[in-house]
Amino acid sequence: MTLAIETIDLTHRYNKKLVALDQLNLRVEQGCIYGFIGPNGAGKTTTLRILAGLLSPTKGEVRLLGEQLTTRAAQRLVGYMPDFFGVYDDLRVWEYLDFFARCYGLRGARLRQVVDELLDLVDLAGKRDAFVQTLSRGMQQRLCLAHALVHNPPVLLLDEPASGLDPRARVELRELLRTLRDMGKTIMLSSHILSELAEVCDAIGIIDHGRMIISGPLAEVQQQLAASARARLRIARERDVVLALALLQRHPLVSAASAAAADPRALIIDFSEALNEEQCAAILAELVNAGVAVSEFSARSENLEELFLRLTANTGQANG
Amino acid sequence: MATHIRRPLLNPILVREARTRMRGFRPYLILTVFLLLLILSTFGIYQYMVFQARTGMVVLSSHIGQALFKGLAFTEMFFIVLVAPVLTSGAISGERERLTYDMLLATPLKPGQMLAGKLIGVLSYLLLLIVASIPVFSTVLIFGGVELRTLIWVVLLLGSAALFFGTIGLFCSSLFGRTTPATIASYTIVLLLSGVPLLVASIWPQFSNPMGQSPPPWLLYLNPFSAIVAVTTVTPTAFQPDMPFFGVNDPFMLVPFLSQFSVGIVRYAPEGPVLMPVYRATLLGFWLGTFVLLWLSSHLALPARRWRPRWSDLGFVAVVGAIALLMWVRIDWWWIVPPVDPWLVPMEPMPVPIDPAPVP
Repeated sequence: MTLAIETIDLTHRYNKKLVALDQLNLRVEQGCIYGFIGPNGAGKTTTLRILAGLLSPTKGEVRLLGEQLTTRAAQRLVGYMPDFFGVYDDLRVWEYLDFFARCYGLRGARLRQVVDELLDLVDLAGKRDAFVQTLSRGMQQRLCLAHALVHNPPVLLLDEPASGLDPRARVELRELLRTLRDMGKTIMLSSHILSELAEVCDAIGIIDHGRMIISGPLAEVQQQLAASARARLRIARERDVVLALALLQRHPLVSAASAAAADPRALIIDFSEALNEEQCAAILAELVNAGVAVSEFSARSENLEELFLRLTANTGQANG
Repeated sequence: MATHIRRPLLNPILVREARTRMRGFRPYLILTVFLLLLILSTFGIYQYMVFQARTGMVVLSSHIGQALFKGLAFTEMFFIVLVAPVLTSGAISGERERLTYDMLLATPLKPGQMLAGKLIGVLSYLLLLIVASIPVFSTVLIFGGVELRTLIWVVLLLGSAALFFGTIGLFCSSLFGRTTPATIASYTIVLLLSGVPLLVASIWPQFSNPMGQSPPPWLLYLNPFSAIVAVTTVTPTAFQPDMPFFGVNDPFMLVPFLSQFSVGIVRYAPEGPVLMPVYRATLLGFWLGTFVLLWLSSHLALPARRWRPRWSDLGFVAVVGAIALLMWVRIDWWWIVPPVDPWLVPMEPMPVPIDPAPVP
């Protein structure tokens, strides 16, 4: 199957010195939502701007749906929503979409139809005649997303689409992204709010210092989390905590065990290798047999946020 | 899936300008101030002419018409020079500030189309101002005295000035990232073209060698005020300095205030005052300047690889080349060779009377 987005050794330097992208290899399959994660200055926006045809790479190759990237190809195939987007305050909502639709050469009945359909899609039909400046931040975000769809592009590039949104607007945006995926669009979105990406993305890539650290389907990436699996334990009686810690620290599969700072009866256990359910049950049985009153036991994976911090910290140390 | 993108039938920027240009109170405020200024000028000039007549000057009806036309044309030019740059100086920098520039660049819209859309939008608004001023201008018809040729020249000059000074704003907007520096730079260029030549022309006689020379006409070629004053100045068919005629000391200057802007456009030859038609060079200079600045702006507005040659450059080169060729072919039409100042011509030596030889 043809990839929606493919970059080969993509490199970009600003002023010949600052390396923004360093031989970045990216592969995004068609019809998926790809989350692009990285700390500030990692090269996310530079990548998206290159893919949108706004920036020429210093070196490397970009293909969109198998087609070599040119400015015209990007304009045709990509819908782009920048991280900091502006709106024309003096335009009405429908005029805003009408303006961008005209930029793509739409006219007549087709133009009106596209504007109406997009307003319905982003749930702004009721605000059709309102001035853009009167919309809430979430509505403006949805309107900006709609502007990127006026020419029905197969690929959508959204730079930090959820920044500045309240929880309700975020949920609405997630729903909208899923709808767009179901319509067959490939969506690449960058964010540093990782929990959001975990809920909506099919695949993720983590970038730092212009290099891809890890990339692939979300399930595959999460498998790597098992190598540092954790468990959380809660002891019913405070006097059992010392005994439980002593037992756990002596256990061959446990690399570290400590009491949580906020709750002295909660213990966090780091295992030296991935444990299956039977091994977890055996450890629990050992504790119960030793007389420790365990009220809660839950195996806990490292979440995306922790993984991101660990991976980017490693890169930082390696570069430092 | 989008497979083909058509070129827009109508410039989208122009459509947006048409929708938003008259929103809010600002456009109406500018229009009101402009019309008030014109009405006050008309009233002031008329009162001045009446005062002159009361003091014993011979003031004909045509003189009032000419004075009104001159004053109104000047006010209109003054307003265009003042307003056109400020209306266009936010064209590109405003998009950058508003964070909409990236969104526009991601569309098939070209920077040249953005500039053209903005410029035409502003010109349309200035045209509205000019059309709105027609009722005030029509007061001239009551008194007469203005030729059709002069009217056509004034319209040509006002239109060309709107284009040129609007393009100065566009150029600065493309050059600078923010609107405030772009506006300041635009007005600096306006001052350099409109104020500095007049200042230099007024002090030229004191610093010339030999002293007392009139300023060279080329100094005023790109000055819009000199052009409008020159084109609306009526040369008397017969110069009669002994008649108590209105403005006898300066037959070209019907409106006293405007004499400040008429420095260097009148020469005094032995056969009488001669008008310097600097407006011809002004017109051609404005056209040439407009296209050169538009060409530069279309490159400056690009986000990257600004000076890489493009196909549109051929169009600009053709237009600029055509204007330059026209100027070269018709150089004798617009380049002024002024008459020598009579007071600098060496006097004929007085014949020395020779005593008759003594008769022996």
